[in-house]
Amino acid sequence: MSLLKNLKIIILVIVVLLILIIIRISDQNVFKEQVKTAVEVTWNNSNLITPNKFRELTTPYLVIELGSESNPGSLQFRPSIKIPFEKLLDKESREILDNTKGALILYSDKMATASKAWIILNQLGYKNILILSSEENPEELKYKFQPDTTAGLEQDSI
Amino acid sequence: MDARIKYSVLLVGIGLIVAILPYNTAESFRLKSHDLLIKSTSDEIWLSVDQVARFMNNEDSTVQLIDLRSTEQFRECNIPGSINIPYSDLLNPFWEGTINQKQVKKIFYGNSDQTACYAWIIATGLGYENNYIMKGGLNEWFKIVMFTQFSGQKITPLENALFENRFNARKTFTQINSLPDSLKRQFFHSKRLKQSKLDGGCE
Repeated sequence: MSLLKNLKIIILVIVVLLILIIIRISDQNVFKEQVKTAVEVTWNNSNLITPNKFRELTTPYLVIELGSESNPGSLQFRPSIKIPFEKLLDKESREILDNTKGALILYSDKMATASKAWIILNQLGYKNILILSSEENPEELKYKFQPDTTAGLEQDSI
Repeated sequence: MDARIKYSVLLVGIGLIVAILPYNTAESFRLKSHDLLIKSTSDEIWLSVDQVARFMNNEDSTVQLIDLRSTEQFRECNIPGSINIPYSDLLNPFWEGTINQKQVKKIFYGNSDQTACYAWIIATGLGYENNYIMKGGLNEWFKIVMFTQFSGQKITPLENALFENRFNARKTFTQINSLPDSLKRQFFHSKRLKQSKLDGGCE
């Protein structure tokens, strides 16, 4: 007993440290995933699903239609839910995301919004998230550069 | 009680806490998720191709264009003044000095918005500041800067400035991307020399 009394300050320090660490670990607002995994998945577009493949899905899924608060868009898929991008991490939205069984399919008429949402959710630890994309490779260059074959430097600068 | 015993208990306690913590040497986002979400919804992260064309024409040293496409695509054509950091190589420590420049505006671009958005979120999430995206990527650059023509009867001063900016950017883009790699560096020197002569300055 006297030993515990003598050590009470030290035990207190350790308990406080432990509590701080538990708070940090259990904080849902903190990113825990490795950034490397997000880059690996996204650079070869394996996080995209085309409309054809989407129609063939047999496993459970939920489409998250991401609009903005000013322009929420309309529900185009079943089953789906509208979540404005600004409210993606609100308590109600997190509950929906947490309780969904199967794939989370992000859809937005702006690819940029769905891309940003994908990285944020992936880094928060959500698995099985896909982006519904009308194109198989949205990063395709649609124009061909035509070089000017007569181009050269000014003679006096060489 | 002996102070040595107290210190020993403290050290053992901290040691146990460290031992139960997950070992993670890899990088994770430093920003909190809500902060990152708020930043990413801001319209200020977007720059139009006209704004980027102006930076390029002015050779603005406070701006660094970052081309996220593959090395092959970058060699084929790129916006003059940009550096190539292929998206797959973004986390290479070699590029940290480039991405972690607080005073320099880093403008990410790909062929469209997708890769640039990924890179923007990753760079911002890792705590790097002053990141922007060129809206629409190179597809928008080609559509607006390379291919738009003025077709009206009269032109306002504002339209004139806009088309002059696009014309100059188009000219530089075509010229520099048509040159062999060995001559590209000399291009800007040649351009500055020509400008100084027009201004009546010394070489």
